[in-house]
Amino acid sequence: MNIKKNFRFILPVGALLLAAVAWAGSPQILLSPGSGPSTASFASINKVFTGDWQQYGQLFTTWQGGLFNRIFLLVLTIVPTVFLLHYIIIGAKSFSHAGTPIKFFGILTRFLHWLAALSFSLLVITGLMVVFGKFLGGGALIMSGRSVHLIAAIVFCLSAAGLFLIWLKDMLPMPHDILWLFIMGGYLSKKKKPIPAGKFNAGQKIWFWLATIGGGVMAWSGYNLYSFAAPTDQLRQMAILHNFLAAGLVGFFIIHLYMSLFAIKGSLASMITGYKSPEEVEILHSRYKI
Amino acid sequence: MARMKFLCDVERCIDCNGCVIACKEGNQVPVGVNRRRVISIGEGKPGEKSISVACMHCSDAPCIAVCPVDAIYQREDGIVLVNKKTCIGCGYCFMACPFGAPQFPSGKVFGARGAMDKCTFCAGGPEETFSDEEKRLYGQNRIAEGKVPLCAAMCATKALMAGDANVVADAYRKRVFARGSGANAWGWDKAYGKK
Repeated sequence: MNIKKNFRFILPVGALLLAAVAWAGSPQILLSPGSGPSTASFASINKVFTGDWQQYGQLFTTWQGGLFNRIFLLVLTIVPTVFLLHYIIIGAKSFSHAGTPIKFFGILTRFLHWLAALSFSLLVITGLMVVFGKFLGGGALIMSGRSVHLIAAIVFCLSAAGLFLIWLKDMLPMPHDILWLFIMGGYLSKKKKPIPAGKFNAGQKIWFWLATIGGGVMAWSGYNLYSFAAPTDQLRQMAILHNFLAAGLVGFFIIHLYMSLFAIKGSLASMITGYKSPEEVEILHSRYKI
Repeated sequence: MARMKFLCDVERCIDCNGCVIACKEGNQVPVGVNRRRVISIGEGKPGEKSISVACMHCSDAPCIAVCPVDAIYQREDGIVLVNKKTCIGCGYCFMACPFGAPQFPSGKVFGARGAMDKCTFCAGGPEETFSDEEKRLYGQNRIAEGKVPLCAAMCATKALMAGDANVVADAYRKRVFARGSGANAWGWDKAYGKK
């Protein structure tokens, strides 16, 4: 083939090809970090190290640096103070034990409840040990607290799952629960009037859902924080979630302790024997059908 | 007092990982822990950059702020150190650190994290200086010997510098000046190359 003859064809095709290569190549060259130090090259280095640090890293640092332990301190002081005042001003409720006791909790329920109670108490204690670790000196004591936290979490998950299945039907929200919340379960008055509640009242239901579903969220976020299974930025979000939810759970745990140990006489015995007095059921669980 | 700082010159770092090995070997760092690491960006492309990063020994360090047991502290010369006997291995410092510096060897119980380990600027730890305990837990104390950290001492291209912030910054400034600003100006690479 005579090149000279076809030159007028080759020239435009070659020029087009050259232009295409230059066009395709130039953005890449502009995107690459370049041969000298530049803002672009430092920015791509930053991406590897800091990532989204400004978003959750900064938030986590600020909150863990002072907010979380203050929230726990407030929960641990304000909630017991409120209930101490309640005990002094309104006082405990006690019921006559005359008549045939009513069966309330089966043997499996009671066993699972006490297993959950023991493990949850350990979770609260060891969790607070980590939160207030600097006042306990840290070291081996708090580190073994973390191990106990893990074992207690596994025991709690198993027992709470059992209780969830046993109590689910009785814990579903009912219209009279709104009424119960309006009168605060009758705990603000000394009178013995029938309270709108089935086997469990609205307060018990809130505690149930918080402890089971909330407990599940705690277990899931706790597992990730323990094993570092998630990416760093998600770990930060989980640590924030774990702390806030824990503060709520500790608050309700104190309420539950107060109600069962002090506010209602004989409440503790009912979880041991499984029976409640007829008068107590008539007043506090007026809509319970045996 | 002098403020200790690290500076890695990305124009000089050649990704040889000598600093990582020097640190790990010289300080007898636990298995699974690298106090220093080298990362590269744009590998195999023109303008590839490498940088060696360990703990930056930050001012107002986030790790110190989040530690629930106050195990991390900062010396007067800016070096951030951890007390391994106080640390509980919770990992909060790792989540707070923008540089991924805190590392955790796996502990003895249920795969729990052991006490945090990170770059000490080769300044040992809170134990008595030059004691066996200090060497066992934290590695060498080269600062007390009047030497620069192992990583910077080993760096073949002198990309990694460590020491008094003013001296380091001054050395880097001279380098940048000697290299000239030509490469920095927009379009110069492309228009003029090296001529």
